[in-house]
Amino acid sequence: MLSDMMLKFTQIRFSRGPMIMRALKIIETETGGKSYSSHKYCYDEYASPDQPYEDDQSYAPKQYGETERRDMPKNLKPLADKLCGRPPLFRYFLDGSRRTYKVDDIAYGERIYPIVAGQVGVACCERLTPDRFNVYAVENRLILCLSEVSDKDGLRKKFFDGIKNRINKESNLYTLGLSLSKILTYRDEPDVNYEHKAIAKIHDEMLDSEKGIVVRISNENKLNEDSYLIKDGSIEYKTLKAGSYKDLSVIKNNYRRVVGVSKRFDPEKCVGKKKNNAAKIAELPLYHRTPAFMFESSHSKGEDGAVYLSAWYVRIRESRHTISPFDGVIKVEKIIVTDQERHTGLDSEEIDLITANLINERNPVAYGKDTRWANHLYPVYLTESYIKSRFLSDNFFLNAL
Amino acid sequence: MKIIGKVSATEKIPTTIDEFSFWTSKDRILSPFDVVKVVHLDSSTTFGVVEEISHITDTASYLSSFVSNDFGDVSSQMNTHRIGMNYVRARVVGNTKNIYTPVLDGSTVSLADAAEVAQALGLSEIRNKLPCGYIDMYEYEGNEKVTLPVHFNSKFIIGPEGAHLNISGISGLASKTSYAMFLLRSIQDKFMNLSEKDEELKDESVAFVVLNVKGRDLLAIDETNLDLNDKDREIYKMLGMEPTPFRNVKYFYPYSDIGSNTYASRELINSQIANKKASYYKYVYEYDKDSLDMLFANIDDPNQTMDSICTFIQSEQGNFGKIRSWHDFEEEINEYCKAGSNRAEKEISVASWRKFKRICQRALSNKMFAPRVDLANHENRLEEAISGIKKNEIQVIDIAKLDENMQGFVFGDVIRAIYNLKLGQVEDVDESEIPSKIIIFIDELNKYASSDVPKSSPILRQLIDITERGRSLGIILFSAEQFKSAIHDRIKGNCSTHAYGRTNAIEISKNDYRFVPNVYKNMMTRLNQGEYIIQNPVFRSMLNIKFPKPVYKQFK
Repeated sequence: MLSDMMLKFTQIRFSRGPMIMRALKIIETETGGKSYSSHKYCYDEYASPDQPYEDDQSYAPKQYGETERRDMPKNLKPLADKLCGRPPLFRYFLDGSRRTYKVDDIAYGERIYPIVAGQVGVACCERLTPDRFNVYAVENRLILCLSEVSDKDGLRKKFFDGIKNRINKESNLYTLGLSLSKILTYRDEPDVNYEHKAIAKIHDEMLDSEKGIVVRISNENKLNEDSYLIKDGSIEYKTLKAGSYKDLSVIKNNYRRVVGVSKRFDPEKCVGKKKNNAAKIAELPLYHRTPAFMFESSHSKGEDGAVYLSAWYVRIRESRHTISPFDGVIKVEKIIVTDQERHTGLDSEEIDLITANLINERNPVAYGKDTRWANHLYPVYLTESYIKSRFLSDNFFLNAL
Repeated sequence: MKIIGKVSATEKIPTTIDEFSFWTSKDRILSPFDVVKVVHLDSSTTFGVVEEISHITDTASYLSSFVSNDFGDVSSQMNTHRIGMNYVRARVVGNTKNIYTPVLDGSTVSLADAAEVAQALGLSEIRNKLPCGYIDMYEYEGNEKVTLPVHFNSKFIIGPEGAHLNISGISGLASKTSYAMFLLRSIQDKFMNLSEKDEELKDESVAFVVLNVKGRDLLAIDETNLDLNDKDREIYKMLGMEPTPFRNVKYFYPYSDIGSNTYASRELINSQIANKKASYYKYVYEYDKDSLDMLFANIDDPNQTMDSICTFIQSEQGNFGKIRSWHDFEEEINEYCKAGSNRAEKEISVASWRKFKRICQRALSNKMFAPRVDLANHENRLEEAISGIKKNEIQVIDIAKLDENMQGFVFGDVIRAIYNLKLGQVEDVDESEIPSKIIIFIDELNKYASSDVPKSSPILRQLIDITERGRSLGIILFSAEQFKSAIHDRIKGNCSTHAYGRTNAIEISKNDYRFVPNVYKNMMTRLNQGEYIIQNPVFRSMLNIKFPKPVYKQFK
């Protein structure tokens, strides 16, 4: 079928005249660089430049993040059992994923810069019944990231849009029925790893899509007190220089019914008044949560001021069944939206309800399929699997460029 | 067109010319033998028959299931059920444009309507239609349910293109006799009501010889089944058959002076005799000594001594040419059995004569072996009765109460008589009056044609001959047995049609079922009464059919 499609597109292209070029050749021509036709590979197959944790935070839980003032863990199993059989609180599940590739090296002047490509996928799934799991929204994008030096005339957006349009019309991507969504750039500065910078740019693009979907669902009035959304990972988004939803402080009202759940967090960064709280998290009893604490995001500050979050930890799996004492513990975050919340913290009842519902999401598990099974929530795992199933195969994508 | 899924072709399990797989939602109810259609190249449609249905989830292992229930908590509940789906393996049975390129990944799969099901299974173009049951498909689909009559091409079951039927299945649950009788009724109905459409059959005629081997099962096949309800009558109507019992039936009971040779009541026999439908049969030495060898059908005779004695007697050697009664025959045998008898041939020892005597004596004590027949008392010889069989007539020969040896003797005699009739070896019979096809139905075929029966058995030889040559002679064998695997290869191998009723797990593990897909095999162990899996050269695949209750009286 693919070969049929290719033949059809090729015939169309030939009938229009211009010769088909490879996307990288167009970039070389348009930017006046010298391509080295380097070995192409997927970064995810090698040592990942990713951080091992989903959060990149450092905070001191000095302020209570909830209305109830307590320092001891709270057992939510009774409430979780009581809620069993009732419609679950969480209806939407959001996750994003990206795969990044080194596709070439190109020389501008004396320096050589990598060209990095990425596939970005973001999906939000909706759970209608325990058996019906639908895709509510999905976005898939193909992205290239070049050095900003490639813009030889300083035309910026206009220049890169021109290249993008030419690639989409004249490269073999067109014959394959694919199209490039965007060309991003990374800054040219000394002593930095360009590849990491390019990957970070692509990652930011994914985060922007995630935020976009939350805003969309919120605007469509799908989120309410009976219908929450779980976002995989932290919701403490950095304020970016570019992007449709670059400033979290501006869009934070859309996060009223959104909970960020992190599977992997750095317990060392949770520092208490005098000492590290890591041991407390490790010793958190089963189905207990820590008190919620509020913190000001160190990198989400924007036009509308600082962004505050309330966060707490919940143990959903017994530590004797897991490899590390932190396996089985998830970190939950919620953005402080109202002034009332800013002063008193989140309503403890809401936190309890969220926590009890998260406890009830503990089964089934992806045991045997995902090493992070003890911290994974199955609907999130399904959403992640869905996104990954829509990615083009690495071989196909690399050879299409 | 109800779309139920899409074709899935993977690296490990690709679609092929013969098979394809498709996924459906986990609550989609399909059954083996259901027909599905797939949109294919050049706007054609490929038809498939469901063979296997599997349900899978993303559970990596049983352990994962255990862990997912809080490490074995049976009361554990889940907000989200595991993602799961069914995948169905289907066998390709045809394409509307004869395109047999494998169906493509992502092609839509949908249910078929009645016309499409008929087209897919090769039922729509059958000529010389002979109802053989009906198909129920998509039973859970309400409006989409398809009920379709199924027809054999008569030329492929009673010749000349293909002939002979074998029915197998365990006693009671398979309803072998009922199905055979349903088909016989269907054939009789067809040939008694030939229409303009049956141009190809206008020169053909049929008659039936049925052996009753169990109780009174077949001793009132011309009487109405009072248990038949409206639903059954509707089914007969759908099949184009009259829900009336057999016509032109004649019953033959083994003669006995005290009535111990049959399970039929005196009243029943007398009423049948009064209606000129029944008579008693006897064996008279003078005419029936040629069938003596049939008494030895199940006797191991490696040196063929029994065979030699039979030949000796039948060729009227010694004093046997002068004998006219079974009594004299027994006395003459006694002479050969005496020590130092000078009558004994050197080739046949006294010991062999004594063995012959032992076997004969028991049989000859039966009153069927009589000095003569009394026509006034409604008696006759079977050979003569069979020679006079008329078109569309059914002769029911009761052997149910006879011992196994005698049953073999009568059956052997019957098939020999039919053979002689069809070979034109019977005098005073107008050839134009002989039905062009005589169908014999015998239950418990394993008694006469199992692979354990001695190769020298004259009945076995006769049966093999019928299955191999009967198609051209117009002798058709409808047989039934519990276990097909026990039947002689040459007999079952020559049957064009096979009907598989409910059987057991040991049977389906035999080589005979090697070609049957696993799911169909397992279905054979679960078939309901009145349900069969049939195989006929006209059909593109095996069919799971049902048939209605019998139209004739059932003794309970």
